[in-house]
Amino acid sequence: MKRAAAAGTLIPRNALVWIIISQFALLAPHLLRLPLWLVLVYLGTAVWRLLVFQGRASFPGRLVRASLALGGCVAVFLSYGNLLGLEPTVALLLIAFAFKLLELVKPKDAYVLLFLGYFICVIGFLFSQDILFVLYSLFTLVLVTTGLVALHRPREDHFRLGSLRLPALMLAQAFPLMLVLFFLFPRIGPLWTVPVKSHAAKTGVSDFMRPGDISELSQSDDVAFRVQFEGDIPPKSELYWRGLVFSVLEEGAWRSLRYNELPGLELRPPAVEPEGEPLAYTVLMLPTQQNWLYSLRYAQPAQRGILSTADYRLYSPVEIEEQLQYRVRSWPGTPLDPELSDWRRETELALPVQDNPATRALAQRLRDGAADSAAFVDAVLQYFRDEPFVYTLQPPLLTAENSMDQFLLQTRRGFCEHYAYAFVVMMRAAGVPARVVAGYQGGEINPVNRTVIVHQFDAHAWAEVWLEGRGWVRIDPTAAVSPDRIELGLEEAVAAEGSFLANSPLSPLRYRGVNWVNMLRLRYDALTYRWQSWVTGFDGEAQYRLLQDLFGSIRAPVFAGAILLSGVVVLVPVGWLLLQRRRPRPLPPEQRLFLEFCEQMRRRGMTRATGEAPGSFGRRVAREAPQLAGWAMQFIDAFEQLEYGGAPRDAAAYRQHLAGLRQQLRRVPGHRHQG
Amino acid sequence: MDTVGAIDDAVAEVGKALLGKEAQIRLALCCLLARGHLLIEDLPGMGKTTLSHALAAVLGLAYRRVQFTSDLLPADILGVSVYDRNDASFTFHPGPIFTQVLLADEINRTTPRTQSALLEAMAEGQVTVEGETRRLPQPFFVIATQNPIHQSGTYPLPESQLDRFLMRLQLGYPDPQAERRMLLAGAAQQSPEAALRRCLSPEELQSCRAAAGDVHVADSLLDYLQRLVGFSRERPEFAVGLSPRGALALLNCARTWAFMNRRQHVVPEDLQAVLPAVAAHRLVPSGDYAGDGHALVDLLQRSVDVIRP
Repeated sequence: MKRAAAAGTLIPRNALVWIIISQFALLAPHLLRLPLWLVLVYLGTAVWRLLVFQGRASFPGRLVRASLALGGCVAVFLSYGNLLGLEPTVALLLIAFAFKLLELVKPKDAYVLLFLGYFICVIGFLFSQDILFVLYSLFTLVLVTTGLVALHRPREDHFRLGSLRLPALMLAQAFPLMLVLFFLFPRIGPLWTVPVKSHAAKTGVSDFMRPGDISELSQSDDVAFRVQFEGDIPPKSELYWRGLVFSVLEEGAWRSLRYNELPGLELRPPAVEPEGEPLAYTVLMLPTQQNWLYSLRYAQPAQRGILSTADYRLYSPVEIEEQLQYRVRSWPGTPLDPELSDWRRETELALPVQDNPATRALAQRLRDGAADSAAFVDAVLQYFRDEPFVYTLQPPLLTAENSMDQFLLQTRRGFCEHYAYAFVVMMRAAGVPARVVAGYQGGEINPVNRTVIVHQFDAHAWAEVWLEGRGWVRIDPTAAVSPDRIELGLEEAVAAEGSFLANSPLSPLRYRGVNWVNMLRLRYDALTYRWQSWVTGFDGEAQYRLLQDLFGSIRAPVFAGAILLSGVVVLVPVGWLLLQRRRPRPLPPEQRLFLEFCEQMRRRGMTRATGEAPGSFGRRVAREAPQLAGWAMQFIDAFEQLEYGGAPRDAAAYRQHLAGLRQQLRRVPGHRHQG
Repeated sequence: MDTVGAIDDAVAEVGKALLGKEAQIRLALCCLLARGHLLIEDLPGMGKTTLSHALAAVLGLAYRRVQFTSDLLPADILGVSVYDRNDASFTFHPGPIFTQVLLADEINRTTPRTQSALLEAMAEGQVTVEGETRRLPQPFFVIATQNPIHQSGTYPLPESQLDRFLMRLQLGYPDPQAERRMLLAGAAQQSPEAALRRCLSPEELQSCRAAAGDVHVADSLLDYLQRLVGFSRERPEFAVGLSPRGALALLNCARTWAFMNRRQHVVPEDLQAVLPAVAAHRLVPSGDYAGDGHALVDLLQRSVDVIRP
């Protein structure tokens, strides 16, 4: 009887094992974000539940469950110092998911658990929408569905790997429908939002630059953005991706102008005439939690929702919390700010009073030796070239109060931000308007799909100097110290030092020398670009464009029709295949005749029950409708003779028999059944 | 008179001893004609013993009755070897099992050890006592009676032993008229079964069996039978479905039933008629199914259609 009990009231062993497997599979992608003790919770609950299944432990009582729940909350609070926010909430949910296993008594509890599993599967997309993660989620989806299917097979008291087959098949059948819904279902604005900001650190270049900031950023091999040019890709040394302009030096750090510091007339960029042929390109940016966008010099956004600032940068009014794709046109040859306003000149010349006296003196000395501003710029660059300056990812910390004096005259080892900083201070000290520009320089060209991949380690800072008649001119002092950085990139520039990505020994970027690794990495990157621009970047606007391309104008009936029609197009073949498989074998003719008889009787109010034998039915008809009795019994006898009788089935006799049966069926007494 | 007529006679004759139970009598005879052992289960005093005596009487077979008690030993049924001082050797004294019909009364009152002593006899028609195998007379039937298992002082028969019985019958209370006739006759007639005349000769018994074997079974009927069996094995309501032996038992009984109804072929009704008696004691409901074997048989009959798969 133990087996009988297991078959119905308990959860079948197969289902239990699949449920536990899917729990661990759902936990796995969160492991790096969560405290490690959560794994112990999962192991503990799984072992406990298996012991219960073997009868060696019992389900926890009310008190134990309450204290476990409370303990989980306390543990999360201790780990995060908070119970709100995305990560603690996810941790709580995952703990609840683990503990629910201890309440898994009846199949209905398993439903709760499994549907929670589907939800947790979706939760993962808050953290990553990478193509590999999506594939993994599809896999967990199959696992959870397998648990659900196994739950309905009470006889499976052994773990079976083959249980995967049916759910995988079902989900494969649902796949075309998923595509239709993905591309055509209206993108409805979010009814609620998850506070993503609280968990995600701001990434990329910040609006605040202190010596050492960018070299820190250069330790990361994350992708900042990818760019697809419509025409040829300009040479690498021209790829200066402007993100931020630092005009204010305060307490040893550069920062950009705040919106409220700008006078009314300086809020918008001064109009300039674009010169030369534009470069058209699309930038696919990964979330930064910041507002600024990256573009080449003199960029005009080619779509709504992106603004230009007075210092010719692109700017998004909302923080970039998810990936953003934008189209831009740039005219690199256009002079910026040919006329400098008084306010602007004053701002771009301002220096904190009385600091870095040695730097000021040096600047003054070089200025005195130069004929004009342009010559002065060259002199400063020449100074950087002549003196033994070193370009390094590991610059010594600048500790003195006058940090630029220390850098220029003592340490002379620095990263791009040191050179840009020192250069702009010298310019301003000598009365030449100058500012620091931060962003990325260069990028890796993926030969697979001709995109430019810009990594965090491409972060760079350089300078812009305003020269009479030419406007703002880009000057990169780093190029003077280390031409390799601009021509070949960071890796080559610091090759001798061996410091490139020193902290990430496993990054595939470190193995660019190995040909197949590099090819694999670039192919995957091309795939990621496609994925990001077509799937995760497929927002309402992209959908609108797609539909417009397909149908011209978009009106509600056309849209609804398109959804319905494509649903039909996708579902009909699947349905047809299923029907084809399920269609019963055609009935032999005498059985069809019998069913016809049953149908005639049904119209007279006598329905044959399932499992009612022909003889019993015939007698019931005879009893309930005596006027039909003789006829019905005759028919049934003939039918039984044909269907069950031992008469040899030679074709002629059989046909004759059948003809007789058919004739009898036609001779149904016409009058209605009385009573 | 033809054989089937003789069977009808036998039914009527047994009906004199057990009033108002024609359906059960027919099934019991069907079971014996199909060469199967019969188990009759009901409360005490419902006529179990009367039926078994009457059956033995109308078949004209030698019969012995053993009252099973909790202290009955295997040797009490099978027989013992006793030392004979005159011959200075052991002689075998056959037990009551050496007969054609063994009436095993209240079989579930005895210990499993004694119950299993019957097993070999029932399955193979032979017994092994002290290393020597002896054949039992032919034909050999066991007609066993038992109290419902929830009554006190019973050892339920294990499933393997239940499976050896071709049919299990339940008699139930008689209807009021039949009971009244019994009450009126009761005073005059002390043991009605003693006066019954024999209706079937051993030869006729033999020929019944051969004739039942000739009854035609159509493919579509086998389809139906296999659907029934398959249903009992797949559905969650069943913890134990019908075994291949159970399926064969069903077919044999249906054949005999068709023969008893003067048909040369089996129709689904034959199968349905014998299904409760043949299948109910072989089916075990699963834990969450409230019904017993009979409810399962009902479920089978209601769910599996005769015609369409």
